[in-house]
Amino acid sequence: MLNLVICEFRKLKRKKFILLVIFSAFLFPVPLTAFMTLPQTIESEAANFNEYFSYVMGYGVELLLPCMLGVIAAMLFFMERDNDTFKNLRVIPVTSTQMVLAKIIVLFLCGIIFSLMSAFAAFLCGSFTARAEITGIFYKLVLAVEMGIFITAGTLPLVVLVVFFSKTYIFSILLCVFYSVLSLTAESSFGALPKLLCWLMPIPLTTLWSAGNMVQHGVRENIEALAYLFPSTAQTVAILSIMAFLSVALIDYLYKKRGNE
Amino acid sequence: MNDYAIETKNLTMKYGNETAIRNVGLHVRKGRIYGLLGRNGAGKTTIMKAVLGLIPIASGEVKVFGERIGERKKWIYPRIGAMIEAPGFYPNLTGTENLEIFAKLRGVPTPNAVENALALVGLPYRDKKLFGAYSLGMKQRLGIANAIFHDPELLILDEPTNGLDPIGIAEIRDYLKKLTVESEKTILISSHILSEITLLADDIGIIDRGVLLEEAPLSELTKRDRRYIELRVSDVPKTVLILERDFGLKDYSVQDDCTLHLFDAVEDIGKIHRTLVLENVAVYESRHCSHTLEDYFRNITGGEGVA
Repeated sequence: MLNLVICEFRKLKRKKFILLVIFSAFLFPVPLTAFMTLPQTIESEAANFNEYFSYVMGYGVELLLPCMLGVIAAMLFFMERDNDTFKNLRVIPVTSTQMVLAKIIVLFLCGIIFSLMSAFAAFLCGSFTARAEITGIFYKLVLAVEMGIFITAGTLPLVVLVVFFSKTYIFSILLCVFYSVLSLTAESSFGALPKLLCWLMPIPLTTLWSAGNMVQHGVRENIEALAYLFPSTAQTVAILSIMAFLSVALIDYLYKKRGNE
Repeated sequence: MNDYAIETKNLTMKYGNETAIRNVGLHVRKGRIYGLLGRNGAGKTTIMKAVLGLIPIASGEVKVFGERIGERKKWIYPRIGAMIEAPGFYPNLTGTENLEIFAKLRGVPTPNAVENALALVGLPYRDKKLFGAYSLGMKQRLGIANAIFHDPELLILDEPTNGLDPIGIAEIRDYLKKLTVESEKTILISSHILSEITLLADDIGIIDRGVLLEEAPLSELTKRDRRYIELRVSDVPKTVLILERDFGLKDYSVQDDCTLHLFDAVEDIGKIHRTLVLENVAVYESRHCSHTLEDYFRNITGGEGVA
């Protein structure tokens, strides 16, 4: 499987979009830094950075990452169709399920890299700001890795749609934007939505989990009103695992079907 | 022990309601080059895909190395190298990078396998040119390199010389011949070009509209590539008698009441004319004709033949 994953990364060589994904991790941290420096009353410099960090993870990872992953998934899953390499791959002793798993692992790694890059970008920008003090770096890095994994798992239903429609890249991007906007709309309506619905939507579920987790670790405050919605880590992992498992099974089925056409 | 590397029995393939291949019985002997000859759309690629298990079989069976191929069988792929239709590779990678991916996926243990394969097809190793910028001939060469780098026992090549220049065609032909002579590899190759197949293949299968019309060694088929004399005479039975009695000719064929074809009698035609006239047989017409392999293919494929 390691060889397959390495091969999937090699196939992406010279694809400029991958570099763009890494740099886009700076997209939100840079302008958000400006908000940190605004002349406003702050509780402490550490609290100021923590608030900034939660915005970076909220916008950058929870909003932007699903879009990025959707496009990378389109690249990975359309690659064989577009380059007519299905026939080469089908006469080697590797099954399409193995190929699908390798591509999914690449997505997870991209998700983790993006999330970690966002955290690093936040640290970098925070270190240049006088009104911010970076604390709990280890916790924040672990949180970034967890969020990268959870958001990627939560994006797999979107990948199912990308593979199912198997249309152009533009169509895939539209799907990704729709998915992110839908998730963001749900997140802005947490108080009004039933708990079950909030938990069944993977990105809002991850947002709730991360909020609860940050509250537990003293990184976020003033969101006690939503505490009844916070899922535990075990609940989040269980829900996302079921979604990811079903999504991978569907992706595998669709990928096999496309390969036979 | 099975002498065939590939054997199909009553193989029928369908695309939707359309029958692409009908009751094909293919016999590819081990260590030989089998040329599948047919016009574009005759069904050559479909047969090759069926042999590789790339498309479902409607009915019949395919055996590769004596084992029935019903569904994808992973164990068989390391023993086969294939290039079906146009070569498919990643355009953002170089030729070497493309082959290294497939070598890694195949788990090829030989360290220089990619380098050797590229050298064999005349492509540079570690060149910076991307596959997307390759010419048709270079793409074809890379496709062949991809089929051979893991040293397979059986090569399945679908029109491998498409887009190659004459020297390139000759180089690939020599290489494929060398593979069967020195390494006893079996090769199934398809083409719509008769001259190419006759220069390369040991056995030939002629396919037209999904039906395998004939399957025979090249040596047998070339017997049909003959010159003959067409004689139109007043009395065919008497002519036959004279030919057998005076000239010992047995290789002839009677076409109708006044026409017969004489094979291998080109040198004696003057004497034959004189004898027939002396025996009161009127010779209305006598002309040299040739029946080439291409004419034969044209006849059996329904008049249009192959290029």
